[in-house]
Amino acid sequence: MIGHRLANLAILGLAAAICYGMQTSKPHYADLTGPIPVRGGMGDDVKARLFQLRVDKVEFAKILAVSEFGKDRTLTTGGLWAIVTVELAATNSTTTISEATWQGPTGLGYRETERLAMVSGLPPFTVEPGLPARGRFVFEVPPSEISGATLLVSNERAFALDSQARITLDGLRLKPDGTPEMVADIYDMDEPIQ
Amino acid sequence: MFASMRSRVRAWITIGAGTVAAILAANLLGAFGALPEPEIPVFAAGQEIETGQWRVTPLRAFVTDQRIYDAPIREGQKALVLEVEMTNRTAASTTDYFTLFKHGLPVGEESETPFVMLTRDPSMTPELHPAMKERVAFVWALPESATSPGEIPFSVNTKTYKPIDNLYGVPGWYNEQELGRLVIPVSEASG
Amino acid sequence: MSAGAAVSTGAAEIGQSERRWRRRSLWALLILLPATLALGSYTPVKWLFAAKDLFPRDVEPGSTVRFGGSDWKLEAMLTTKDTGSVKLPENAVPVFVDFSVTIGDPDLQKLWTGCRITLADAAGRSWLPTSLPILRYSDDWSDCNSATFSGAAAGATLKIREAFVVPKDAIPTIEPTLGLGSERPYYLRFLRAKD
Repeated sequence: MIGHRLANLAILGLAAAICYGMQTSKPHYADLTGPIPVRGGMGDDVKARLFQLRVDKVEFAKILAVSEFGKDRTLTTGGLWAIVTVELAATNSTTTISEATWQGPTGLGYRETERLAMVSGLPPFTVEPGLPARGRFVFEVPPSEISGATLLVSNERAFALDSQARITLDGLRLKPDGTPEMVADIYDMDEPIQ
Repeated sequence: MFASMRSRVRAWITIGAGTVAAILAANLLGAFGALPEPEIPVFAAGQEIETGQWRVTPLRAFVTDQRIYDAPIREGQKALVLEVEMTNRTAASTTDYFTLFKHGLPVGEESETPFVMLTRDPSMTPELHPAMKERVAFVWALPESATSPGEIPFSVNTKTYKPIDNLYGVPGWYNEQELGRLVIPVSEASG
Repeated sequence: MSAGAAVSTGAAEIGQSERRWRRRSLWALLILLPATLALGSYTPVKWLFAAKDLFPRDVEPGSTVRFGGSDWKLEAMLTTKDTGSVKLPENAVPVFVDFSVTIGDPDLQKLWTGCRITLADAAGRSWLPTSLPILRYSDDWSDCNSATFSGAAAGATLKIREAFVVPKDAIPTIEPTLGLGSERPYYLRFLRAKD
C-alpha cells in the first residue's frame, strides 16, 4: 500500500518536473517568429528570401560631409562614423531594403543613422530583379564595438518569419587594440558610390 | 439526502471563508496603500541619475522666446529647455525618452510631450545608441504668458525591464514610475 | 422492484453510460478538431486571398476585358531612348505600359484600391513601376493610383501609363499584369502577340 502511494507521488513529481522543464525550455513567440538568419562574410553573396547582399567595403570617418537641399553641412559623432558599401540585388520581384543594424561583439545593436535625412544613396533601397544596385549604410559606433561586429540587414524593421542577412565583418583592417587602422577625417557623402 | 445536504453546507462554508479571506486581503492591501509614501529622492543639476534605460546628467534649464536647437516652437510660444547628457544603457538604439522628464508647470496638455533635439546638430528625435553619451535638449512649448518661477520641479521617471512581456513574449521596458524629482534653477533666456 | 436493487443497477448503468459518452466524445474530436481548424483559418485565408494576386486570367492581345467594373484594354508597350536627366544602368531598359480604360462602375475608390500593375517575365521575375522620374506626366496620362482618385464618371475613357525599368534580357518575354483590390485573388495577365 505504501509502495503504491510512493509510486503515485513519484509519478506526480515527475509530471511536475516535466511540465516545468517544458515551460522553461519552450521557445517564446518572439523566438518562433523572429528573424531567420542567413549568414556570410564580407565579399560573400548572402541570399535572403527577397534580396541578395554583398558587403564590399567598410570605411570609418570622424566627420561626415553632406549636402542637403544644396546646403553643405558636416556631422560629428561621439564615436566613429562607419560607412558600409554594399551591392544589392532583388531575388524575384521588386523589393525594398530598409533596415540595417551594426551589431557589436557583445550584442549591442546600432541602428543605421537617421541623421542624414535627405542624402541620396541611403536606405530605403528599392531594387529590381536583374538590375543590381549599390548603396551605403551609415552607422554611428563607438570604436570598441568594431572588432568582431556583424551587419544585420532585412527588408523591414519589424517582420515575422522572414530572413535577415547576417554578415560577419571579418575583413576589417584593425589595429591590435581593435580600432580601425584607417579613419578618415572627413567622409564626403556626395562622392559617387564605388 | 442528509449526506448531500451536509456536503452542500460544507461547500458553502468553504466558499464563504474564501470570500472573507479575499476581502480581508484586499482591505489589508488598501490599508498599506494608505500608508505614507517613502520620501522620493531629489536630484540636482550636475548629478548623474540612473533610470534603468538611461544614465542621465541634467546640465541646465532655461526659458527662451528665441528659436532654440531648431525645435519647432510656434510663433507666440516660449520654449522651456532642459539640457542633459544621456547614455543609452540598453542593448539597442532607441528613442524611448519622451516621458523621462515631466515638468510640473500647470500648462495645457499640448506642452506635455517635449521635442527632443540633439545639440550636436539639431536633429529632432535622435535615436540614441547603446553606450554612446550624447548631449540632448528636451524642449517643451509653453504659452507666451507663462512666467518662469526661477525653479521648476521636474519629475524623473523610470521603467522596469521585463525579459518576457505578457502579450508577445518579447523583452521590453514597462510600468513607468517616478524615480525622483529634479530641482534645477531655470533662468530666463539662454545662459 | 425494491429500492436497493434500483440503486445498484443504477450505479452500473451510470458506469456504462459514462463509458459510452467518453467514446462518443473521442469520436466527436475527429470532427470537431478539423472543424475548429477550418473555422479559425477562414478569416486569415480570406485576407490572404483579398491581398494577393494569385490566379491569373489571360487576356488575348488586342482584346478588351471587364475588370473592377471597367473595360481595360492594353494599348501599347513602348520603350524610349530619352530618359531625360535620369541615367540608367547599362543593361536597363525603360518600358512604358499604356492602358485605355472605359469606366463602367464609377466607384473607383472602392473597386480599384490597391491597384497593382507589374511586368512579369517567363522566368517568374516581376517588376513594379519605377520610382525614377523617367515619365513626364501630362494631362493625358495618369498612373493607376492617381486614376483611382480622379473621380472619373461612368463612360469616360482614362489613359493609364506606368513606367518600368527592366533588364534587357527580360524584354522578349515580359507581359503586363493588372491586379485590383476588388478582384483579388484573380488578376489579369495580358498575353503578347506571337510574332
